[in-house]
Amino acid sequence: MSYEFPSELMYTTTHEWVRIENSFATVGLTDYAQHQLGDVVFVELPDIGMVLEKESNAGEIESVKAVGDLIMPLSGEVMEINEQLDGSPELVNSSPYDGGWMMKIKISHPNEIDELISVEKYKELVKSEEQ
Amino acid sequence: MPVQYESIIKEHEEVRSNAGVFDISHMGEFLLNGKDVIPFLQYIMINDLNLLEESKGQYSCMCYENGTVVDDLFYYEESFDLFRIIVNASNIEKDFQWLSDHIKEKDVKIQNFSSKRGRLAFQGPKSDDLLQPLVDVDLSEIKRFYFKHCKLNSIPIFLARTGYTGERGFEISFDKEKSEEIWNALLNTGASPAGLGARDTLRLEASYSLYGHEISDTITPVEAGLNWLVKPKEHIDYIGKKILLKQKSEGTERILVGLNLLDKGIIRQNYKIFKNGNEIGYVTSGGYSPTLKKTIGLGLVKTQFNEVGTEIEIEIRGKFIKGIIVSTPFYRNV
Repeated sequence: MSYEFPSELMYTTTHEWVRIENSFATVGLTDYAQHQLGDVVFVELPDIGMVLEKESNAGEIESVKAVGDLIMPLSGEVMEINEQLDGSPELVNSSPYDGGWMMKIKISHPNEIDELISVEKYKELVKSEEQ
Repeated sequence: MPVQYESIIKEHEEVRSNAGVFDISHMGEFLLNGKDVIPFLQYIMINDLNLLEESKGQYSCMCYENGTVVDDLFYYEESFDLFRIIVNASNIEKDFQWLSDHIKEKDVKIQNFSSKRGRLAFQGPKSDDLLQPLVDVDLSEIKRFYFKHCKLNSIPIFLARTGYTGERGFEISFDKEKSEEIWNALLNTGASPAGLGARDTLRLEASYSLYGHEISDTITPVEAGLNWLVKPKEHIDYIGKKILLKQKSEGTERILVGLNLLDKGIIRQNYKIFKNGNEIGYVTSGGYSPTLKKTIGLGLVKTQFNEVGTEIEIEIRGKFIKGIIVSTPFYRNV
C-alpha cells in the first residue's frame, strides 16, 4: 500500500498527525490509520475547554469494523473541534489531512513537541507495522 | 476471505443494488450417505425433514440435550440417501465429531469435503440476470431454497438459491481447483468482490443469526427468536426436543430483540443493556447499517422488556446511551 504523509507535519506512534502553528496544534488521524480502520461512521470528540494530558484518550473513531482511539499528542486545552465530522465522518477517510482534522489544542508544554516523531521516522514505523 | 477488498460500505451497497461475490470457501461441507440418513438427521436436527424434498435445502440447528446450539447449518437433499451439509467454518471439527459420534449402528457414512471443495456466494438483486448467461440451466426454475447440479462455463457446480445477505442470490460449490476460474467468471459479469465485513453488515440488517453471537452453546434457538425452527415432530425423538418444546410453549427468561440508538454512537457485541439503571441484557451483534445509515443491533434481554418501543440504555465505554427496542429484520429484499 502507498500512503500520503505530508512532510511538514509531525506524527505520533499512535498514528495521529500534528500541525504546529505557534502555540497551537491541529490534530488528526494519518492516512495509514484511516486505511486500517476502514469506513469511519462515527467520531466522538472531546468537549471544547477540556484540558488533557499528553497520551490521554481524547476521543473515539468508530468504523464499520472497529473502534480506534484519538490520543492527545501533546498536553493542552481543546480550543476547537471539527463539527463537520458529526454529519460527515467519512471525511476522515476521504481527506485525512484537510477536511478530516479532529481538534485544535493550545499547547501547554511546548517542550513535548520534541517528543513527536518526524515524517521519516513515522514512515519507518508504518513499514514495520505492515510487515 | 478478507474483511474487505476496498470499502465495507461500498461492497455492502453493491450487494444491495447490483451483485457481489463472496468467497465462502472457509465454510465446512460434509456429504452424508446411507439408507438411514433421513432418520439420523431427524434425530440430530431440530427442523423437520418431512418438510424437505429432493433438490431442496433446509436451514436448521443441531442442539445439545439442554437445547443450546452445536451449530446452525444448511443441508440439501440430493436423494433420500445422500445429503450435503454446509456448516460454519469455526465449527467444522466439532460438527464432524458430533455427527460421527451419533451415527452408532445406523447406515450412514460421513465424509468431510471442506478442503476439497470451493464455495462462493453470488448475491444481489441483479444476481439472476448476471449469472444466467454463464450456466446451462434456467435459473427461474430454481425456487428459493432449491438447488440444481449444472455447469458454469462447462465446470460442474452445485447451485442453490440460498444466501445470508437478505437479497436474492445463490450459493455455489465446486471442485476447489476450479475456484479461480469461477471467481473470475463471476467478477467478469460486473459483480463486485465482497468481504467478510460486508457479509456481516448485510446479515445483521437481514437479522440472520451468527453462531457465537445470537446462537451459541449457551443460547437456545427459542431464546434467539428461532421458534419457527423448533418443530413438534410427533413420534420422532430428537436431541434437545424436550426442553426446546417446553421453552417454545412456556417462553424463556430472555429473548432476542432488535436495537436502535436514540443518541449517537455505535454498539458492539457484549455491550451491556440497562433499563432504569438495572442491567437487563447485552448486545449480541451491533454496528452501523450502511442501508439505513444508522446504528442497529441485536441483543438478548430479560423477556419482560422485549416489547417494541421500550426505551433502554446501552453502556458504551462507561457512558449510558439511550436506545430503543425495535422489530426485526431491519432490511430484507428476498
